[in-house]
Amino acid sequence: MSRRVPFAMLAIAACAIGLRIALLGHWDAYGALQLPLIFEAAAAVSVVATVASPFGEPERVAGRWLPYVRLAVTAALTAAAIGLLAAAGTGANLSGGTLDVLRNVAGITGIGLLCAAALGSGLSWTGPTGYLVAAVYALYTQWHPPALTTPWLWPARPPHDLGGAICAVLVFTCGVAVVTVRGARDRPGDPAAA
Amino acid sequence: MTAVTRTTAASRPRPTVRPPGLTLLRLLRLELRHNAMAWLLPVAIGLFWLTTYRKDMAMPPLWNLRATGLQLGAVLDFAVPVTGAAAWMGSREARRRVTDLVTVTARPRWARLLASWAATTIWAMVGYLGCTAVLYGVTAHQASWGGPLWWPAAVGAACLPAFSALGFVLGTFLPGRFTAPLAAIAAFFVVALSTELIRGSQSYWNISPIVTGPWDLGPQAGVATFYPYLPDLSIAQVMFLAGLTVALLGALALPAGSGGRALRTAAAGLTGAGLLAAGTAVWLAGTGTMDAHGMIGIPALHDAASDQPLRFTPVCSHTAIPVCLNPAFAGYLSVMANALAPLLSQLAGLPGAPTRIVQDSVIYQQGAGNSVTIRPRNPADGDSSPVSHLVLPDQTQGQAMTASQLASTVITTYGLELVARVTGDGPGASPAQNAVAAALMRAVSVGGVLVTQAPSNQCPPVSEPQAGPVRQGEQGHRSGPGTVCASQSQGVARGTPAAAAAERFAARPASVRHAWLVRHLAALRAGQITLAQLP
Repeated sequence: MSRRVPFAMLAIAACAIGLRIALLGHWDAYGALQLPLIFEAAAAVSVVATVASPFGEPERVAGRWLPYVRLAVTAALTAAAIGLLAAAGTGANLSGGTLDVLRNVAGITGIGLLCAAALGSGLSWTGPTGYLVAAVYALYTQWHPPALTTPWLWPARPPHDLGGAICAVLVFTCGVAVVTVRGARDRPGDPAAA
Repeated sequence: MTAVTRTTAASRPRPTVRPPGLTLLRLLRLELRHNAMAWLLPVAIGLFWLTTYRKDMAMPPLWNLRATGLQLGAVLDFAVPVTGAAAWMGSREARRRVTDLVTVTARPRWARLLASWAATTIWAMVGYLGCTAVLYGVTAHQASWGGPLWWPAAVGAACLPAFSALGFVLGTFLPGRFTAPLAAIAAFFVVALSTELIRGSQSYWNISPIVTGPWDLGPQAGVATFYPYLPDLSIAQVMFLAGLTVALLGALALPAGSGGRALRTAAAGLTGAGLLAAGTAVWLAGTGTMDAHGMIGIPALHDAASDQPLRFTPVCSHTAIPVCLNPAFAGYLSVMANALAPLLSQLAGLPGAPTRIVQDSVIYQQGAGNSVTIRPRNPADGDSSPVSHLVLPDQTQGQAMTASQLASTVITTYGLELVARVTGDGPGASPAQNAVAAALMRAVSVGGVLVTQAPSNQCPPVSEPQAGPVRQGEQGHRSGPGTVCASQSQGVARGTPAAAAAERFAARPASVRHAWLVRHLAALRAGQITLAQLP
């Protein structure tokens, strides 16, 4: 896990810089709404990519600190992603503001963590990227009825919406809990997970 | 004497020589069985259902709307999973640390990589074709006229090898666990937001595969129903995507170790040819202009036969004045007939009343930036013309309407125009003409619409600045079917003698109103009838 943390931090920083540069440009309302979500999803998949682990049962049994390390790394990277993206939007016209960044990054990271636990770390990105397309469409339907108003598509909800926030927090909590306890569903000794 | 037993040495088994094609097929079969795209098909199909199928099904069953919706939606839906899966497959050897192991195999590296790319593309194509078949199958069942438009579907299909090649090249040259997700999101970013750079119909960015016509005009019911669908832009897009695919696949063979010298030279040639084709397609897209039928024509690819109107037999209602629509809009006929029937029964046979109402096409005109003006082809029919031209609200408004919305809009726009044509109502009309027009409208209108107040003297602008998010599927600039300010009624204000006369006339039975109009219409139109003379 730790081997990928520097690269993940680099990727998250690149997302923040990319968002900042993109916000300098002139976007129509659609671009302005979709842009932050795309960078938030990119930052979230970077966090999720770090959960791969080649450790097997012996390490799990012997290393009682392993779950705490997983939790700490995931929480720290998620916090870093939120912080960097929010900082990137400071002083710019960031749609939804910091609250949106917090909710979206946490929620999409949660989806990725759940996918890592279910599908393995290798394909953990499939959930967040698929969700990105659905969320962008949900944003689109806010102006093109019938609107998708389910709180499970929280990026399409207003930043202060309680239902969307609860769903995002729930998904993030479940994802973190599962990955903390069980780790990603990787085969022990798999070179691809190293 | 010794007996000698003669034995023949067992011959060594001859190595099995398989035909090269068979070997490649076997390799492809292996790749198909172990391809990540197969696992991502449910994701792609789910996204297609959520964002494309549901949206398309909410549109009227017109082939042009469904086909352009397919192209726009499916390209976005498949971009993410296909690019991601291809990048994942492209980085497989490096991730599993078997690059050295497979380098010594008999097959060139390029052939091995192409097999993996082909397997990814085949899985994606299977999913896409299945989705397209369902969407087109349902549309064929619902549509009243016309047939499938294959060019939009072809553009969507051409995207898959291109996305797959893009992801595969990224995965091969930048192997890593971050490559697949970031490549997928980058592909989505580029495709979804490339349209931000489109300015007008003469834009190189129209080459983006999600563009089906003038951007911000959105799917239009009036496009490709009276005139054939122009494939010019689609041809350029397919050319671009094919060129991009060839160039990317050629690039796979460029690094040392990918194959022999001849192979690498051929690959370099392929890459160059692909880039040339893609560049030419971009240039062609930049020469396109929107034609009067709302589609982008590219002079170098244009077929003049596409400018000829489609031949069709209109479908007509059995109202007092027949309402005839393009057969593609046959589903609207009953709504239109029911909405207009009470009015038509009163106007039929009167001087100035048409003997037939025929649906007309509209004319599209590019404005500044991305704005587009839509206006009726025959904005004002002469009073003596036996045919009145009607433009449905759907032809000028991007959003689909419900039956009641359609009926209400037609009554309050076209109905008003028709009444004005018969009564001579309009600017400068007498109070009696205003009152009769208002009474006729009140008698037949949906929800008791009554023209009670003179509208603004200024016509609404034909083109208005866009407000709010606009994406293909929505159109910000249009002139409605009833935007005929010159003939707009002055109306009658509540509490005035004209309003009282209108109320009185509207309260009469329809047969009485019609009989009175038959006798007095000429005098009414000449301004010789006073309010007191109205029954």
